[in-house]
Amino acid sequence: MAILEIKHVSKFFGGLAANADVSFTMTQGMIMGLIGPNGAGKTTLFNCITGYYPPSKGEVLFKGKLMNGLEPDMVCKLGMARTWQKVRPLAKMSVQDNVMVGALCRTGSLKKARELAMEQIMVVKLEHKADFPAGRLTIGERKKLEVARVLATRPELLLLDEVMGGLNPSESEEIIQLILDIKKQGITQMVIEHDMKAIMRISDRIVVLNSGEKLTEGSPQEVVNNPEVVKAYLGDFHA
Amino acid sequence: MKPLSLITGNTRGFSIPSLIIGIVLLGALFCFPSFVQSPYALHMMILLFLSTIMGESWNIIGGYTGQYSVGHAAYYGAGAYGTLVLLQKWEIPPWYGMWAGMAVAVLLSLIIGSICFRLRGPYFVLASIAVAEIVRITVLNTPAVTNGAEGILLSDLPPFKIGGTVITDFVSKVPFYYISLLLAIFTIVVTWLLQNSKLGYYVQAIREDQDAAHSLGISLSLYKSIALAISAALTSLAGSFYAIYIKFIDPSTVLSLDLSVQIVLIAIIGGIGTIYGPLIGALVLVPLSEALRSNVIAQGLINCGVVREDSGVGIFLKEHLAHAHVLIYGILVVIVILFMPDGVLGFVKKKSRDWGLGTGKGLDR
Ligand SMILES: Nc1ncnc2c1ncn2[C@@H]1O[C@H](COP(=O)(O)OP(=O)(O)OP(=O)(O)O)[C@@H](O)[C@H]1O
Ligand SMILES: [Mg+2]
Repeated sequence: MAILEIKHVSKFFGGLAANADVSFTMTQGMIMGLIGPNGAGKTTLFNCITGYYPPSKGEVLFKGKLMNGLEPDMVCKLGMARTWQKVRPLAKMSVQDNVMVGALCRTGSLKKARELAMEQIMVVKLEHKADFPAGRLTIGERKKLEVARVLATRPELLLLDEVMGGLNPSESEEIIQLILDIKKQGITQMVIEHDMKAIMRISDRIVVLNSGEKLTEGSPQEVVNNPEVVKAYLGDFHA
Repeated sequence: MKPLSLITGNTRGFSIPSLIIGIVLLGALFCFPSFVQSPYALHMMILLFLSTIMGESWNIIGGYTGQYSVGHAAYYGAGAYGTLVLLQKWEIPPWYGMWAGMAVAVLLSLIIGSICFRLRGPYFVLASIAVAEIVRITVLNTPAVTNGAEGILLSDLPPFKIGGTVITDFVSKVPFYYISLLLAIFTIVVTWLLQNSKLGYYVQAIREDQDAAHSLGISLSLYKSIALAISAALTSLAGSFYAIYIKFIDPSTVLSLDLSVQIVLIAIIGGIGTIYGPLIGALVLVPLSEALRSNVIAQGLINCGVVREDSGVGIFLKEHLAHAHVLIYGILVVIVILFMPDGVLGFVKKKSRDWGLGTGKGLDR
């Protein structure tokens, strides 16, 4: 069953088409990889899907419901939640309080939220930092906090924007395992990542964006063997 | 846990020593009028409580929610005018009138919020100033209701009765002392409750990062509005109290930009986003402004021989220092921002951590 349908979504910033007529569909439980060179429009697409910007054109349907025009808080309450590429810790609050803010999306009780938060903090293995102010975490820990906090909102569809960016190999490996564990819980995921090896390992399907447009879509094998994809990436590197 | 945690605001439960200190302090405050009869001392304490109420109220929207309103005089004025207009024109006793003033303040806060909360950062600050100025000018130009620039002088305050028994006739300062003390305690309790509620978590998340908060399911407009409404309601109480205590209000005192700035300063100097910060701010600012007003600073400098009384500087200081409170406040704010970015309370916390007092845990909250 389709959980997310993106239909002809475009987003213009002045004359720049950050997304141009992008369409694809995600089914329940899958991991969709979203790749493309820098500035391809990946983050912009997340912003359009989650209500941060209204799309200039096109429709976003989540569980069959039209999302256009909904504010990010409503989108989150309906079960679609995202992390931020440029992490956004609630710096003066502790790690536990950060995750509690996420958990409070589903409960009014602080006690319950504290328990839910602790569960998610253990999932990302940050329990030794639970009382630490989020502003004093390392980049790797901040990325984990992003994931714990968003998981605490109990999403059905999780959008992860470069949660491995800037991490060392062992930290990246932890995140890969985490993503696979989240999949086992039945949560559908869309993952933006530049590390091709990682994205090949975790994705069921991959969408490639280039200059705002969808270049291609397919299984990881199909995508890496597509000459256009290779060209887009090489072009990017030689620019 | 050391007693210091009482003032540094560890909220996860109270320790026994801090509880005892709190009870002793409260007991002393309640007994104060039995030992000290001086009207001047009582007046100073009342001003201290009044400033605490204002600072704590602003702290809810400014300190906890991170929305720096510089228009809180509007809510203060709503309380003051609501109470006195009803009392003077229709002889409605202030303990009813204050609710009307509060209703006006809350209504006003919802309107102001719907206009200003679309804006962020400095734009919000400017909008809050502008809207409060509109309120002041409106009051100035509706003399039929508000007496305009002349202001309202309260001729007589009816005694406070419960079921025919007179509780107080308000002739001394003592009833005002207790009313303001109770209101100050009330605002602190409200702040404590806020900090330990979902609302408190949500507004602090908004303060830390609006976009992150929004994406975690928090309606920005809803929670900012709730916080502003609570803040406005409490501020209006301070205004109502001021009106019946001083017995004279006019737009240039209860609706001025000067007042809005002072309200902000109490919280900023003490330490925003903490339960006791505004109380500390009031403890600093009230004596300071009194010292400036009564010219003890200029006189002190002369008496210590720093400047000569008959010198040009001495005469200048004696004449002008009393009117220079805005300048002095400005200097104070610069000092606080440069050396104590988290206010006096934050500074004390940091020093106590450096010196190994108190526990590390909870100090960062
Ligand atoms: N708010 C904005 N206003 C104007 N232009 C924007 C805005 N946000 C993004 N852009 C532009 O849109 C294009 C796509 O940006 P986007 O951040 O979506 O790329 P991305 O694929 O996420 O890149 P990266 O891999 O570097 O994160 C870029 O050219 C960017 O400069
Ligand atoms: Mg991006």
